[in-house]
Amino acid sequence: MFWLLRRNMLPLYLNSVARRPFASSPPPLPPAPLPCPRETHIWYVVPDELKDASRLNQYMELLSPCERQSVLRMNGERLQKGALLARTLVRTTLARYTDGRLSPKSFKFRKNRFGKPEVEWDNYDLWAPPPLQFNISHTSTMIACGVTLDLPIGIDIEEKQRKTSNDILSLAHRYFTSVEVAYLKTLADPECRQSEFIRLWTLKEAYVKALGRGFSGAPFKDFTIRLEASNGKQVTGESKSDGPSIVVEAVDDPGILMNRWKFAFFELNSHYTAVCMERDVKNPADGENNSLKLKVWRTLPFVEDECVTETDAVKNIIR
Amino acid sequence: MASMSGTAIATSARPQFAARAQVVKGFSGLKSVSFSIQRKSFPSVRLQAASRRLQVSCAAKPETVQKVCEIVKKQLALSDDAAVTGESKFSSLGADSLDTVEIVMGLEEAFGISVEEESAQSITTVQDAADLIEKLVDAKSS
Repeated sequence: MFWLLRRNMLPLYLNSVARRPFASSPPPLPPAPLPCPRETHIWYVVPDELKDASRLNQYMELLSPCERQSVLRMNGERLQKGALLARTLVRTTLARYTDGRLSPKSFKFRKNRFGKPEVEWDNYDLWAPPPLQFNISHTSTMIACGVTLDLPIGIDIEEKQRKTSNDILSLAHRYFTSVEVAYLKTLADPECRQSEFIRLWTLKEAYVKALGRGFSGAPFKDFTIRLEASNGKQVTGESKSDGPSIVVEAVDDPGILMNRWKFAFFELNSHYTAVCMERDVKNPADGENNSLKLKVWRTLPFVEDECVTETDAVKNIIR
Repeated sequence: MASMSGTAIATSARPQFAARAQVVKGFSGLKSVSFSIQRKSFPSVRLQAASRRLQVSCAAKPETVQKVCEIVKKQLALSDDAAVTGESKFSSLGADSLDTVEIVMGLEEAFGISVEEESAQSITTVQDAADLIEKLVDAKSS
């Protein structure tokens, strides 16, 4: 099924204001209330659920010319579709929070000095756009976009069944801290070790992405992520106390938790999902123990949205 | 995990030398050397004026590039006939950060080298990886 716009069918004009849509204009997206200060909103797409060629062409219309070129540079149809859906998800998700004032197409993006993508807001006369921050992650079977109000966020997803080519402990010795390696060694069951490795990897990725300094700006070996029991003791493979929380500490400064960051880890649509969000220190109600609140929607942009927060789709939440 | 950069196709960071070598004075017999350009990316050509022979050093041997392609295809579970060449960017092939580290470890094992994290960060294409490998292999054997 060849759904892509061929190169010679790409619009010749670059000025998006002057252009006419290729297909009919998409219906407006239902507006969504803004995330609260402690909340992360997550919207996700399952690529396999979208097969309609005209729908995919409609999505292509939402992208900037540069984004379209990037999509077409991906190697093969499957990867191109994934890239297209990722940009579509970001644009449609952000548009939902503007109360109908901004269309998905009108968003502009830039990178911060470390390369992290962020929204570039225009100046509007009578309206202050919400200071949304976002981050995306994708696998071949799911794309997720996390949104907060004015707080740095990182999200990382991984298929639960992901297998590594290299031995888990070899990878861990190379990329993880000694505390994390020691934790993995306490797990005798190889499957358990495998899934805990993936869990740690996604949490570390989410933290690095929240920091926004890139992989080299926050090397994995410089910080440890672990579970801390409510009694303050480290959680090992054998002992899991009630309500452990995910904490991060610098290798150079063990024992000093970096409280600025809070985490959530859960299973979503057969994926491990890790979210890292900066604590809202401006808000006095956000005390030290307030954990990250989540709201999750499954979406097929312009087709259907489903809130799955309190359903089976979201499982085994650890914060 | 990757986000779209939205930039135009990145040209190779390596300067593209003309495929026609300069005439070197005092060079017995040889007036000019020319190479036909078969592909878009072609090996850089250096003249070692200091030595008395014309030396051509390629960026990386085709066999090295080929081997890297094989390892990458295997890690990313791409089919044998998937279009992977020296110019292929890892991000365009769908490699995420875990894939990238696994590819680096696979290359280390295949070539008997050790790649520093800083060097690994600078690899964006298959050609970059092949060039780095040959540099490390040469450094190891010299």
